[in-house]
Amino acid sequence: MCALDSIIAVVGKEVIRLIAGLIGVLIVVVVNALILTWVERKVSGHMQKRIGPKEVGPYGLIQPIADGLKLLGKELLTPANVDKPLYYLAPVVVFIPVLVSFIVIPFDGFLQVKDINVGILVILAFSSLSVLSILIAGWGSNNKYSLIGATRSVAQNIAYEIPLLLSLLPVVFMANSFSLRDIVEAQREGWFVWRWQFFAFLIYFIAATAETNRTPFDLPEAESELVAGFHTEYSGMRFALFFLAEYTNIFIASAIATTFFLGGYLGPVLPGIVWFFIKTYFLVFVIMWFRWTFPRVRFDQLLNFSWKILIPVAFANLILTGGILKL
Amino acid sequence: MVKEISEKIKESISTVEPVEIPYEQRGYHLAIEATKANIVDVVSFFDKAGLYLEDMCCVDYIDYLEIVYLFNNHNKVCRIKVTLKVDPEKPSAPTISHIYKIARWYEREIHEFFGVLFEGHNFMTYLFLHDQIDFYPLRKKQVPVPEEDKRLLNSFNPEEQEDGFFLNLGPQHPSTHGVLRVVVKMNGEYMLSAEPVLGYLHRMHEKMAENRTYQQFYPNAARMDYLGALNFNLGYVTTVEKLCGIEVPERAQYIRTITAELNRISSHLLWFGAFVADLGGLTPFLYTFDDRENILDILEAVAGSRLTYSYFRFGGLFNDVDDDFVLNVKKFIDRLRSRFSMYERLVTGNVIFINRVKNIGVMDKNYPLKYGCSGPVIRSIGIPFDIRKHEPYAVYDRIDFDVATGTNGDNMDRYLVRIKEMEISLNIIEKALKDLPSGPVKAEKIPKKLKPPKGDIYHTVESPRGELGIYIVSDESDVPYRMRWRVPSYSNLMTFPELAEGSLIADAIATLGSYDLVIPEIDR
Repeated sequence: MCALDSIIAVVGKEVIRLIAGLIGVLIVVVVNALILTWVERKVSGHMQKRIGPKEVGPYGLIQPIADGLKLLGKELLTPANVDKPLYYLAPVVVFIPVLVSFIVIPFDGFLQVKDINVGILVILAFSSLSVLSILIAGWGSNNKYSLIGATRSVAQNIAYEIPLLLSLLPVVFMANSFSLRDIVEAQREGWFVWRWQFFAFLIYFIAATAETNRTPFDLPEAESELVAGFHTEYSGMRFALFFLAEYTNIFIASAIATTFFLGGYLGPVLPGIVWFFIKTYFLVFVIMWFRWTFPRVRFDQLLNFSWKILIPVAFANLILTGGILKL
Repeated sequence: MVKEISEKIKESISTVEPVEIPYEQRGYHLAIEATKANIVDVVSFFDKAGLYLEDMCCVDYIDYLEIVYLFNNHNKVCRIKVTLKVDPEKPSAPTISHIYKIARWYEREIHEFFGVLFEGHNFMTYLFLHDQIDFYPLRKKQVPVPEEDKRLLNSFNPEEQEDGFFLNLGPQHPSTHGVLRVVVKMNGEYMLSAEPVLGYLHRMHEKMAENRTYQQFYPNAARMDYLGALNFNLGYVTTVEKLCGIEVPERAQYIRTITAELNRISSHLLWFGAFVADLGGLTPFLYTFDDRENILDILEAVAGSRLTYSYFRFGGLFNDVDDDFVLNVKKFIDRLRSRFSMYERLVTGNVIFINRVKNIGVMDKNYPLKYGCSGPVIRSIGIPFDIRKHEPYAVYDRIDFDVATGTNGDNMDRYLVRIKEMEISLNIIEKALKDLPSGPVKAEKIPKKLKPPKGDIYHTVESPRGELGIYIVSDESDVPYRMRWRVPSYSNLMTFPELAEGSLIADAIATLGSYDLVIPEIDR
């Protein structure tokens, strides 16, 4: 006990908390991705009149772990003509921002690694970094499909980050704070999705689907056109990192939607963390539902939709909300 | 129509002598012998008369090579065979690729198989073969490939010749449905040009045919188009039956119609799933496979195989069907009819889907004449050209059915035409089942060694992808002297470079999917 006290005294309570939090986040990220791959396979299976994984463990629950072990055990192939530093860097770069975003998400009233007073800005800033890693992967792979996928990704992310931000700002106005916990607490009287911000929620959800490269907006990895897009040349654990990041991004996008519009951890009877996960996983399910129902949009349709519809509507909503609050 | 053309051509070109041929025996109405001097005039005459180039092939008669041009009309059957004799020592002929664009590929094919050089053709590279061949494969005597030909054949290297962003779509690519390779020159997301490269699944079925008896060739037909195997099987047996004058029993004819239509539906179902998968929607693929599985089960019970059927025999069938077959087919008809409304809600009415296919890949009205495309591709433009109506085989002349047509010739129309065609096929099956007579399913006294009389024949059937034509030359022995397959996807694919030019890569993929290509059929 004495040793622990002295360590705390040297490095400070805050740092210990951060380190413990990061380890916790890492565990959550991995476990969450494992659960989501299982859920996705079950959801797609049942939507397609199949049953999905069932052999490994009860209801195939151990399947993701078996897959993960397989990917870990695979040889890391490096194609001959890749730009080596960039090629190795990309899977790491894709994973870091994902971890940082978790720090500010309030899972429950007390369960949050750190409540920063500009929390949402931290998340948006770091999630913008993921497009950098896709660009690095696409360029470093020295593959034409990867390159096309990467350029698509850049255009798509730039186009959809604007409505994403614009749809979150009205909520910030209403809660009068950038801190995620304050925003949740401001919803004690009612969720923002029912308090004038339904359109903002819709815009956010569409933009987030595009931001996470999911069907119908999965153009960077459109397999019928670009084979596998930016990660065509990646295999084994490097591919797994992209995969992990993709599922974690879906989770973060849904978690932010929950926090901003659906009252976060607030809810009757059940503990807050349960409510948080129920709401988040429901949104994740809806995103999966999209994927297994819709065909893919075309590149120009995607950009037109963002610049000509989503951004003007989001702007109008922002101005309206600001005006009403001022009055 | 035949008389009219015969007189007109005599008027305009004095050097030709059209001969009328009994259509029932030979499959064409008129034969014209052309010379090197007037072949271009003859071909341009047919072009102006509104006929399309149905097929073009070459036959080696040892003393001379004969190039055969077949012309036909989209409105009423009027098939004309034009032949051109070529010296076998140094074979050459004038090109007609500036008149009919499809001849561009036919001439390349004849060049690599026979060594005939087409003067004026600007792209005499390989179509199917690899660049190390020593002898022309379809010549009856071994003729070595000269050095200058080898140089010519090996000259397709677009990336070395010019600067630009080249993308090889295929031969391993999720959307080329097999092993098609398309060399695409790109500018960002836009395609500047596209050149299909064939031959990755080339097995030289035409050469194989010259080395085995007529009966031994049954399974080869099924391996060309593995999705419409029964239709290819049907095309082959009806051609040989027509050549030998074999009468087929009534019951066998009806069962042939029913099973061939079932096969057409299964092919269209697979295309439906694959087309939507090309657009990014993966779920309908599994749904259509679920339906298709029923057809495979039904056909497996009667034909013994699930994909590459050889169910039909000369003079009838391999096996009679039983009551279970009739019952299962009726059950399947009800099932598929109830599924169409679900497909409508899931796919046809989807806004994203409509935006992706409507007004994309629009074909001009002159495409059928220029390229000789057929099947749902030509019907989507609004031309009701269907071999089942035009030159009825089996019992199609006794069954009343519609021909589905579109108006625009875009991807949406090609999609709707195929959906409609499935419903029409169901109607045909239903009517044929109602009239199904009893009796034998095999003609009697079919010799073990089939030796058709001397002569040639051209016969067509409607495969799920379009017009399948078979040209057989018999020399009275038990092996065909020459067997030529005119396959539908070949001429359909030929339209792709023109449609893809200037389009987005995503649209070009959708257009490629809308053709319903089966590459082993093109490569043969």
